[in-house]
Amino acid sequence: MKIPIKELLPAFLFLTLPVTAHAVETSVDSTTLVRIEQRDVTGGSKQTYAPATQFLGLDMDKLADGNLSLHLYGWGRYDLADKSFNNDRAAGALTYGYLQYRFKNANADVRAGRFFVHEGIVNEQLDGLSVRSDLPLGFGVSAFGGATVHTKHLAGESSDGKGDSLFGGRANYRYKGMFELGLSGVYEGKAPALLTYKNANHRLLGGDIWLSPCRMIELMGHSSYNPDTKRVAEHSYLLNLKPVAHLTLAGEFNEHREGSYFNSSALFTKMPGFNPAEKSRSIGANASYEISKTVDVSADYKHYTRDIGNADRYGADVKLSLLNNMFRSGVGYHYLRAGQGFAITGTTSASYHELRCYALYDTNSFFTSFDVIDYLFTKRVKNEKSAWEASASVGYHITPNLAVSGDFSYGQNPDYIDETKGLIRLTYNMTYKNKGEK
Amino acid sequence: MRFFQQIFPALALAGLIMILAACAQMKAIPGLPASHPEALTVGQQVSCAECHEDNQNGTLKAFDAFSHSPAFVKNHRFYASSDERLCSSCHKSSFCNDCHTNQVEMKPSIKYGNRPDRDMPHRGNFMTLHKIEGKLDPASCYRCHGRANNERCITCHR
Repeated sequence: MKIPIKELLPAFLFLTLPVTAHAVETSVDSTTLVRIEQRDVTGGSKQTYAPATQFLGLDMDKLADGNLSLHLYGWGRYDLADKSFNNDRAAGALTYGYLQYRFKNANADVRAGRFFVHEGIVNEQLDGLSVRSDLPLGFGVSAFGGATVHTKHLAGESSDGKGDSLFGGRANYRYKGMFELGLSGVYEGKAPALLTYKNANHRLLGGDIWLSPCRMIELMGHSSYNPDTKRVAEHSYLLNLKPVAHLTLAGEFNEHREGSYFNSSALFTKMPGFNPAEKSRSIGANASYEISKTVDVSADYKHYTRDIGNADRYGADVKLSLLNNMFRSGVGYHYLRAGQGFAITGTTSASYHELRCYALYDTNSFFTSFDVIDYLFTKRVKNEKSAWEASASVGYHITPNLAVSGDFSYGQNPDYIDETKGLIRLTYNMTYKNKGEK
Repeated sequence: MRFFQQIFPALALAGLIMILAACAQMKAIPGLPASHPEALTVGQQVSCAECHEDNQNGTLKAFDAFSHSPAFVKNHRFYASSDERLCSSCHKSSFCNDCHTNQVEMKPSIKYGNRPDRDMPHRGNFMTLHKIEGKLDPASCYRCHGRANNERCITCHR
């Protein structure tokens, strides 16, 4: 496993912490998983996988003058049996590692290291610096800049198709908790040329809105524009209506111009069916109602429009919570009506029914759960009527922070005659005292 | 493209001036606490309105808008894009990054196989289903897998 030094640079920020730190609050989250999976591949041989994975997070608050904090999170894996999916027996990633300084007023903060940015139309991970603050008169501003976090190289290429630098930010205006308007943008350095993939620069400008003239009505969403293609990339909007307590009626509208929205993803431009001239659209509605503190019901409908055809999905879910939330359960049913244009190669329809049922019982000492999910195809896929999986889990809280558990699942589907999976899990979640247990 | 390159320095300069102006008046602008002051029940659909009754402070949105109803959970991306600072008062970044990250090691529904009550993507045999869902709504794939989190994708899509 090769990890370039620059990948570890954010972690080295730890070494820069002031030595005068006092009254530091430290939180460690650890999840250790050893999985054992056996797959009987249709028309092939049996495969056995035993990857051991460690997720580890560290949060240190109240450093230096009390406003500085350190946040680290990442994972590492080692395959104890067959290689689990690529040529590397071991792998790992630093998901984030940054220092944050929070000012006491104006929701202002500065972050340095590796982190994620979610601002308006921007969703990025970078190694760099970000600043954010509320401003007088309801205005606000944020900005970020640094180096792109690269992923694995594309097949047959010497890069992942991303540019090396990343900048952007958002400016917004809020009025009395009634509406918010935002303008945001992201500018990535020049995308590298690729041998077999199409590629384009990742640059977007956009606006977002949140409008709530009264507490019964809430409209929100965003539109983005691709300055390279000089066309709109995305519209995505949601309308929430809350006519009575505990009832939410929602309507959503999404439209994507593939040539502008997907063009900076070399991987997506090579997907089957990608058409840069296409405009895909989905319109949906959802109703959810909390009948009581113990029962939630919801129903949803969505219509999809693409060049290859139209499709509809509808269904309902019921969720139950009893015994002071120690017992939680749910059932759901959805049906997708989709024609041959969406079908898996070799079949004439993509329609399927989805059935799900689960239950969980969690006490101060032990916890147990089961989950069954079944996809029933209206036309057989690889001569199989369905893809189903049943799983069960049982565990024990050794201390309030430390728990050990084991999962077992079995399923059959068009890809595997039998798929058997087992897992042992050790979790340690340390929370701050007298805080939100985040 | 040229237009974007021309306006970017102007936008950056405007942002810098606004930040400097804000620094002068920061003490007058309220801020959210770093953490929620009380522990919240794990696994429960949190209703902010139980305690925060129209408790708007400055330009803050009504807390009721953030109650974790099934509709909120389904559409949380709209809220996170403009109020991440409020999300972070109860959730660590890692809570989001189990699904939204650059390199994911396993399906979140496997990592949290003991929590079937949590809404997680790709439950069950999604290997088969993605051949339908990917054609149906590629934008929903793109949000997580478009420019990141694609190591498993390139194993077959080459």
